[in-house]
Amino acid sequence: MALRPVTFTRVVQPVRSLWQRFSVASMGVAAFALMLLGNADNVIVERMRVGVTDILTPVLLVTAKPAAMVSSGVEWLTRLHDLQGQVDHLREENRILRQWWHRAVTLEQENETLRRLSRFVPPPSPASISARAITATGGPFVRSMLVSAGRSHGVEPGQVAMSGDGALSGVVVAAGVRHARVLLVTDLNSQIPVTVHGTDGTSYPGILSGDNSRTPVMRFLPHGAHVSTGDRVVTSGLGGVLPAGLPVGQVTSITGSEVRVRPLAHWSGPDHVRLLRYDFQKVPGVVP
Amino acid sequence: MRLFLLALQLDQAARATVPTVTVGLLILPGLLPLGAPWLSETMPHFAMIAVFYWTLYRPDLLPPAAVFLIGLLFDILAGHPTGLAALTLLAVHVVVQNQRQAFLLRSFPIVWGGFALIAAAAFLGMWLMTCLLALRLVMAPAAVLQFGATVLCFPVLAWGLVRVHRQVIR
Repeated sequence: MALRPVTFTRVVQPVRSLWQRFSVASMGVAAFALMLLGNADNVIVERMRVGVTDILTPVLLVTAKPAAMVSSGVEWLTRLHDLQGQVDHLREENRILRQWWHRAVTLEQENETLRRLSRFVPPPSPASISARAITATGGPFVRSMLVSAGRSHGVEPGQVAMSGDGALSGVVVAAGVRHARVLLVTDLNSQIPVTVHGTDGTSYPGILSGDNSRTPVMRFLPHGAHVSTGDRVVTSGLGGVLPAGLPVGQVTSITGSEVRVRPLAHWSGPDHVRLLRYDFQKVPGVVP
Repeated sequence: MRLFLLALQLDQAARATVPTVTVGLLILPGLLPLGAPWLSETMPHFAMIAVFYWTLYRPDLLPPAAVFLIGLLFDILAGHPTGLAALTLLAVHVVVQNQRQAFLLRSFPIVWGGFALIAAAAFLGMWLMTCLLALRLVMAPAAVLQFGATVLCFPVLAWGLVRVHRQVIR
């Protein structure tokens, strides 16, 4: 009996029909498995994410440019609306700020004198890296952004991202060679140890926890904490991940026991962010 | 003559990739840093509309593997849980493919209504999965808002896709 010649089709045919039958199901299972693995911070999934994003960073840098134009156009249109109201608001704000300026100058002089008297050694100021936001997702499922600086520029996970107006935007959670992902304070997975400073001098520790809305929630406030709207929220430095005293936001609404905070950082948009590198070993009094 | 045939084949192959390319390009609006928070909060899920359209009218030109890979890319770049958009878009693809006969040759409002139903299920699925993965309740109004924006944008984008379909793919 002669053997039938082994042709390419004969080998490939069963594989192909099997693939056609099960391909969709297997892709569904793969997506589900990736979701579970990614949720458990699997190293391979994380590396894949960072690698793919690194490859596509140049493309995103190009697409972010027209986005910046759209963004400034939208901003211009929004500003056009109610110009007189904004002028009045700015005048009022300017008046208040001028009073604050006089106070700040006096306090700075006093502070300088006290520092000289007590021979105060200031902590080293952090090194900062400026980067451009190349993607920003603000939907109901995630709140994060990619920035145009990565490990090759000295960015590492754990660094603090500050907005242009000097408020905490988020924390770097992953860094590739040319990009880094910043998890915004509003994201579901963001938990930041903060202190709420009341106008009456009281302060309470808590955790600022995002829920993919514009206003994150304060959790684990001490029992009987007296918090009111307008109170300042700054990082507490507890846990040693973030430095203390970075401005985060203001308490905007209190309904029952739910305290919500509006972040000061203008988190979305083509804004540039400043990534701060704190070297905790060199800062006296901070336990890493 | 042979060169002409080759050019013709290349031309046809290029035209056949158009559905995949449009779906791929339509993930971009959801990623761009567009300034105003309300803009990125209500950004419609354009890729979902494109997957619905092409699966309905040219399923032969949009393989499920392409849908899966584009979804995966969207997840990776947007920072979603990896696989969330991939699973959702694939589910939309499978459901539409199974229900094609119910939609084909029907009037536009019925197709629109069908899309709204499928999109509602898809958004509900995404919201549930996000909640389950985080083991916390995510704000639902934002998801409802995005769903509404997606359904409202359907006629406009579908009109654009019909143009592309007629002019480019033929």
